[in-house]
Amino acid sequence: MSKKGSSEGSDRFEYLQTLVTEFQDTDSEDAKEQVLANLANFAYDPKNMEALRELQVPDLFLDMLTEENENFVEFGMGGLCNLSMDRECRDLILQSGGIPLVTNCLSSRREETVLSAITTLMNLTTAASRSEITDPAILQCMLRFSLSESPRLRNLATVFLQDCCTEAQVASAEQQMQGRHQTALGIPLPKD
Amino acid sequence: MAAPNDSSCWSSPEVYKHHEQQKVCISRPKYREGRKAKAVKVYTINLESRYLMVQGVPAIGVMTELIQLCALYGAVEEYRPLDEYPAEEFTEVYLIKFQKLPSARAAKRHMDEKSFYGGVLHVCYVPEYESVEDTRLKLQDRRRYVIRMAQNKVREKEQREEVKKEPTSSDTAAASESITSTYDQTSDNNNTGESSTTSHYLGFPSLPLPPQEEYNRRHTNLHRNIPTEDKMGSLSNYVVDTKQQQMQNPSSSQMSSNKDRGKESRVTASAIRFVPRTTHMESRKRKLEEATQHLLFEAEGKNEPLIGPKLPEPPKLDMEDESLNTTVSLIRSKIKQVESVPDLKPAEKKVKPRRRI
Repeated sequence: MSKKGSSEGSDRFEYLQTLVTEFQDTDSEDAKEQVLANLANFAYDPKNMEALRELQVPDLFLDMLTEENENFVEFGMGGLCNLSMDRECRDLILQSGGIPLVTNCLSSRREETVLSAITTLMNLTTAASRSEITDPAILQCMLRFSLSESPRLRNLATVFLQDCCTEAQVASAEQQMQGRHQTALGIPLPKD
Repeated sequence: MAAPNDSSCWSSPEVYKHHEQQKVCISRPKYREGRKAKAVKVYTINLESRYLMVQGVPAIGVMTELIQLCALYGAVEEYRPLDEYPAEEFTEVYLIKFQKLPSARAAKRHMDEKSFYGGVLHVCYVPEYESVEDTRLKLQDRRRYVIRMAQNKVREKEQREEVKKEPTSSDTAAASESITSTYDQTSDNNNTGESSTTSHYLGFPSLPLPPQEEYNRRHTNLHRNIPTEDKMGSLSNYVVDTKQQQMQNPSSSQMSSNKDRGKESRVTASAIRFVPRTTHMESRKRKLEEATQHLLFEAEGKNEPLIGPKLPEPPKLDMEDESLNTTVSLIRSKIKQVESVPDLKPAEKKVKPRRRI
């Protein structure tokens, strides 16, 4: 049993390594998108976490968040959303300075990217990172999202406000929104 | 039948982009090709939901059948037709709320793009029907699951390392197998308390055998008892074994007179050990048949091999003259040749019509 498990594990690692290598070597945008989506979906299965960590896929996903191509951003963010469920991956993302990169994605035009970003921020919340994640700008953004037309965005932002921060923090963010300290976080730039 | 309309999540059917079936990707290289053609899409927990929307259900009153199909994958908590949702002509759209997310996942995987009463279903997650509490629980469950899996993996790894440190414990499975294969040796040790007169024959099968019936019973007895005693020491197996013994006894007693037979049966008996029950029954049946055949031959009181009843020999004609006898044998062989010809012809005739067909 254990023997079979380890050989299966090494096959898995080799396959994921092939994917990462193709992603780095190819010049085709299509191929890059496909491989990125593959990797992000593999990040859903907890069995792959160890191999993906070893292959530094968390950093690969973080790199995607600053790409021009919106598909790259969406898939990279989706991958981070999946990875950040795992505690060790979460710590790696935090070490690589992931919070500001993820926070930037709250302003994406794509709902899927925004949703992944909110879930990722919730997953990244630890005793040490809480103050950074409950930054007033992020809370204001969540408050706006909680009034959104989209039920998914509304629900997720509500969960964030209820679970990740104190009522006092939310109240002060609400006050700031009525005053002059408004931020533009979470408001997508107009299309050119 | 339909779900109550009170909660807000059961109203406002809107068409979202993620409901649409995306274009299948056809430019993947072989090593990245899955079994099914799929679009380039990333699944996260946000997209998944215990709420499913089923489109393309033929509008012929098959709601019950649809819900029955869904129930194969898990308990359905609520369901209702989404009359307001834009549907293709002559089809209906249904909303299904499963009790658990894994059920919805299985239902989606098995029902999407499958034909159903002449229509092709399109099944997708509809997380927009979730309540805040639904979303919260979904995320909590997912986090817990991933953490549990990680812990399992760590535990597994630790076990594997322990096993590496003590290689003897890792070979327990192989060791138990070797115990059973070197049965003759171990049986001697296990058997000392029971009876010393018969046990040593197991180690030296070439020695003259004691009365066959006795031997066989002892043999099977030991066979069956050793593993049960070692592993669980329960009596339930023992009861079954005595039944088997009783069933085997007639065959062994029939074979008792022939020593070679006895040896053979011993070999097969030890081979039977890990054979599935059906095979075991077959081999027993075969043995019985062999035994009855053997009895038949014994009844004739001859030891020479018989293949079948002998045909009556053709009466020999003696013409009392050598030349005449030669002529007779010649004519006889000629007649045999002639006789054999009509045997061939019908065979050819049979072949021909087949060719035409």
